Amino acid sequence: MTSITLSGVNKSFGANFPVIRGVDLTIDDGEFCVFLGPSGCGKSTLLRMVAGLETAYSGEIRIGDRVVDKVEPADRQVAMVFQNYALYPHMSVYDNMAFGLRQAKTPKDEIERRVKEAARILQIEPLLDRMPKALSGGQRQRVAIGRAIVRQPKVFLFDEPLSNLDAALRVHMRSEIATLHRNFPAASMIYVTHDQTEAMALADKIVLLHAGKDMLKHGSIAQVGKPLDLYHRPRNLFVAGFLGSPTMNFLPATFVGQETGGAHVTLKGGEELVVPVDGSQLAAGAPVTLGVRPEHLAPVPVPAIQTLTRKVSAVEHFGEYSFVYLDGGTPAPLIAKVAGDGGVKAGDSATFVAPADCCHLFDADGIALNHLNSL
Amino acid sequence: MASSPVSRATGRVAVPVLGLIWLAVTTVPFLFMVMTSFKTQQESFSSSVWTLPEAFNLVNYIDVLSGSFLTYLKNSVMVVAISVLLVMLIASMAAYAFARIRFRFNEALFGLIVAGMIVPIHITLVPIYLMTRHMGLYDSPFALIGPYVATSLPISVFILTEFMRQIPKELEEAARLDGCGPFTIYFKIFLPLSGPGLSTVAIYNGIMMWNEFIFAYVLTSSTSTRTLPMAVWDFQGQYASNIPAILTVVTLTSLPLIVAYAFGQEKIVNGMMAGSLKG
Repeated sequence: MTSITLSGVNKSFGANFPVIRGVDLTIDDGEFCVFLGPSGCGKSTLLRMVAGLETAYSGEIRIGDRVVDKVEPADRQVAMVFQNYALYPHMSVYDNMAFGLRQAKTPKDEIERRVKEAARILQIEPLLDRMPKALSGGQRQRVAIGRAIVRQPKVFLFDEPLSNLDAALRVHMRSEIATLHRNFPAASMIYVTHDQTEAMALADKIVLLHAGKDMLKHGSIAQVGKPLDLYHRPRNLFVAGFLGSPTMNFLPATFVGQETGGAHVTLKGGEELVVPVDGSQLAAGAPVTLGVRPEHLAPVPVPAIQTLTRKVSAVEHFGEYSFVYLDGGTPAPLIAKVAGDGGVKAGDSATFVAPADCCHLFDADGIALNHLNSL
Repeated sequence: MASSPVSRATGRVAVPVLGLIWLAVTTVPFLFMVMTSFKTQQESFSSSVWTLPEAFNLVNYIDVLSGSFLTYLKNSVMVVAISVLLVMLIASMAAYAFARIRFRFNEALFGLIVAGMIVPIHITLVPIYLMTRHMGLYDSPFALIGPYVATSLPISVFILTEFMRQIPKELEEAARLDGCGPFTIYFKIFLPLSGPGLSTVAIYNGIMMWNEFIFAYVLTSSTSTRTLPMAVWDFQGQYASNIPAILTVVTLTSLPLIVAYAFGQEKIVNGMMAGSLKG
């Protein structure tokens, strides 16, 4: 059993600054779970609570069937990979990897076998005699992962392990971590990152944590689910705005009424759209927010149903695609991600269709209205 | 702010000139000491103080080394070695606690210990003398260990605490996950990583203790128990002093320090700078 269960977990730094708020979460056996959120949302704190490096103010944490709230970090059968590697600078790579096993009084030949096996998996066998300062960033990160592997933990914990690496190496190491997960299918993994690309690429399950001005939500779970569920069916404005780059376009709108095809809304520019969501709880005239991702806005030659017509304020070309910035109706410009050069230039008036299935509707509290069609 | 070409040029000239002046200030007394140690007593009176010795006469060295110098040396080595080891052990343990363990009054206690640096040792002489007599340690080299350790602790705790505060917290957390308790973390992680800080403490305190005079003077009285700074007294009469012999003693006494400083000056400077710069 390598599942992790958090029940009603709370944590505060001081009396008035809650960092983790009422977290209920289950991570299944062998699951790769990513804690995602902006800086300061408490994702690392939550990970450190699972590791035993922080104590919860209230609530319960279980690893497998065992409540671990009062269990020392070393006895939780977890291994952690730190953001800055945390290799012991005065020990060789071999000693770094063997240190924990020596502390556990593991027989010498068993230590050697495990260290060499981990080194083989991570392709760091030639580095075993080197000191950490003689290694590159990527090699250090491999050693840090090796140190975790040799302990044969039930749970691997990764605290932003790739954030100190350059972009190319980050992509490479990301695939190695995915391979590691495949090599150790029984172990559960929790991975903390603020990088949504890493989260989308690696996760079986994403836990997105709230942060920001709303202190009543700070440190609580905004949404848990499969990466594409969060992307395509965000449960609230925070999730919708956090995932995706550029972020989702939000347009203020007014609810007109519920029709067969979904909720009928009117935008400030006068355009009318039908979004296939259940708006039956809303009163006519209720303020709502329409959300549509930049890549879902497609240029069309003439205005029609489900279209928006706006003045183009700027175009950014990236070769394969372009970002078209549109003025009007919102504090931030709308962005459309279009193939090639988009065929428009700044100053033009352009029309884009917002396909109904790709539109989202949020009520005045920022909660997403349920889609009528499941994914 | 960019400096003008004139001030840059002045700096290029002034810095080396001031450096040379300072070199002369520090080197001339040293040269005088070494030169005089090779002169006979008569020669030292008859010739100018800056005249080179007529011959490199080793009579003073033979004279000094055949006396009680080696006993003083043995006492000094023993007292300084034991005291420095105790200071390193106690100060590093205290520093680990101050740097890493959160407890009530941590900062207040740290401030109190560091404030010990401003206590002049002279006001502690009488109580320490009485305590030493009371403990039956008077006129024993061991009488010096307690005061030496106590007076060295404030600056040592200060240096090592600043040093240990710079050791990343994650190393300690990694060690906790590897199954280490506070003592193992201290012995296996913090102590080895504090090597440069410990060297600083050892060299700095070693120099201070090696040269220490006042406690050695007050707490010991016999030839068999005194340390090197008291060796000078063997050649200091009431009516006349053997200046070349005294300077030979000083030369021999300062030799180990010069060697230690030559090899360890970088660590001393680094240790003194610990905590003053981020990064």
